[in-house]
Amino acid sequence: MEGPIWSHEYFAQKGDVSLFMWRKRLESPSKCPAPKPVLFLVHGSSFSGPTGFDLQVPEKQDYSLMDKFASYGFDVWTLDHEGYGRSDKTSGNSGILEGVNDISAGMELIRRETHATSAAFYGSSSGALRAAAFAEVFPNSVNKLILDAFVWTGEGSPTLTERTKKIDQWTSRNFRSVDRDFFLSIFTRDKPGTSEEGVAEALAERELAICNSVPTGTYVDMCSLLPICDPTKIKCPVLIIRGEHDGIATEEDLFNYFNKLPTRDKQFVIIPGLAHVTFLGANRSRLWHVMKDFLHGPDRIDER
Amino acid sequence: MTNPITNMPNDPGDIKGEEYWAKRGAINLFLFRRYSPSARATNPQKPVLFLVHGSSFSARTAYDLDIPGQGDYSLMKTFAGLGYDVWTMDHEGYGKSSHTDGFSYIADGVEDIKAATPIIENQTNKSSFCFFGSSSGALRAGAFANTHPEKVKKLALAALVWTGDGSPTLLKRAEKINEWRETNRRTVDEEAYKEIFTRDVEGLTIPELPSVAAAAEMKNGGGSVPNGTYIDMCVNLPVVDPKKVECPVMIFRGDHDGIATDDDVLRFFINLPNKDKQLVMVSGQAHNTTIGINRARFWHSLDSFLSMPKRVDL
Repeated sequence: MEGPIWSHEYFAQKGDVSLFMWRKRLESPSKCPAPKPVLFLVHGSSFSGPTGFDLQVPEKQDYSLMDKFASYGFDVWTLDHEGYGRSDKTSGNSGILEGVNDISAGMELIRRETHATSAAFYGSSSGALRAAAFAEVFPNSVNKLILDAFVWTGEGSPTLTERTKKIDQWTSRNFRSVDRDFFLSIFTRDKPGTSEEGVAEALAERELAICNSVPTGTYVDMCSLLPICDPTKIKCPVLIIRGEHDGIATEEDLFNYFNKLPTRDKQFVIIPGLAHVTFLGANRSRLWHVMKDFLHGPDRIDER
Repeated sequence: MTNPITNMPNDPGDIKGEEYWAKRGAINLFLFRRYSPSARATNPQKPVLFLVHGSSFSARTAYDLDIPGQGDYSLMKTFAGLGYDVWTMDHEGYGKSSHTDGFSYIADGVEDIKAATPIIENQTNKSSFCFFGSSSGALRAGAFANTHPEKVKKLALAALVWTGDGSPTLLKRAEKINEWRETNRRTVDEEAYKEIFTRDVEGLTIPELPSVAAAAEMKNGGGSVPNGTYIDMCVNLPVVDPKKVECPVMIFRGDHDGIATDDDVLRFFINLPNKDKQLVMVSGQAHNTTIGINRARFWHSLDSFLSMPKRVDL
């Protein structure tokens, strides 16, 4: 049975950089001290953590991924990477590998608050690249890894081919402006009609209330430095989720990555009716279902 | 109540077992159904699930095994407890179905399923069902989906082989191709089952399983099975065309399964045209995923696939 969802904000420190963190779970830790499994949500290139993962859409239900997984019994965290949302704006461009350092700082705080030594990670788009890169460097901190809207080498990617046309623009400065039209374009570039009306607008309104620019580092990395992730270094179970219409990668690119994962606990799931931003799509309940079952699967019994 | 180990509901206490018979020409085909009225009432959205057995077990040995004191082994009872209306059948030459002088090839299995569907339609008032097949049962179910797409709502395939290229199990099996062709039946006893359960890796089934399975098979079918699917898998693959499977598909593969290579299974998956598809690879599993010690992991994946929320089209 779902109870009230408790939330709290924190700041993690990465050197001089303060990183905003947002946490949701059923009941506060003081009221319900029993540990819950930790789920860490890693945002992508164009909007901050709570904006994407804890979105409330006027007159519509169930758009918060954080609320949904809190209701499933998880202790759900997200973080604004350097230069995003309520985290410090610096002179850096917040590339993928800088995101790994952000997550590391976030995990330090989560360990202190929850005593959990590892978490399940979900990353979307460049958030998936950050999460996978973190899992390579800190395998003991990642017990399960969900990669959504992922791209590996980028070969043949329609979205990245288009994005690369502006590479000089992305490399010439560390921030790019975002506005309402830009947010709307994220939801229509692959396949119009895969998200409800009002969702992109709600996201734009919330994000633009806290910032009107985001760092360019992940765009630069995805256009010029892929592959950044090495599947052979991932040790934990992995779920790869792909929206049917996602243009960020070809299926072949993802199959090649999947094939090289050494773990024998791995799943590749394609979900029709979804595009790049699966967690805000019309068929997001199918994403929740797949994620929940991956995270809740029975433990393996070893040989008898 | 939910079992804390399996995350699956406990036995609701009212699971029924019903026998039916289908006819394919002169051949009598045995059908068996399990369901729980209370679980069906609680979960009316759960579909009809048709389980297709493989080469070496009749239906109830494979999917309705009872091993006292060893926990749940019956896939039929487990899914009946979840609210599914679960059906299975003995193919020609297996179990209680007519033992003919035929070989019961994959193509015959497709005809068997075709003969069974009117019975199920009549009893359930449904015109299409979810299918699960393991090993050559996956080939039968896949081939049925190729020829009768309107009858297959969803398709779950375990221990699948497509082309057989590089398959360790089929390479070894082919050494005896003349033996399989010489006679239409082979004996399945405790020794045969011990070989099946340990050929990939030891320790992923309980030690008692070969004797329990042999006793069940003797009771269900007399201790011998037809050779047709062995022959097909050695010399006639591929028998399923992934490009002609229209419905959503889940492929479940155990990490130690020697029936196919990862590459063979992945290429089948890539060729499936429906974008509603899942490839689930799970550790702690060999060829017989449904009766291994980690069978709960398989149940979990199968139930998850079959319970996927309906697609929303705006």
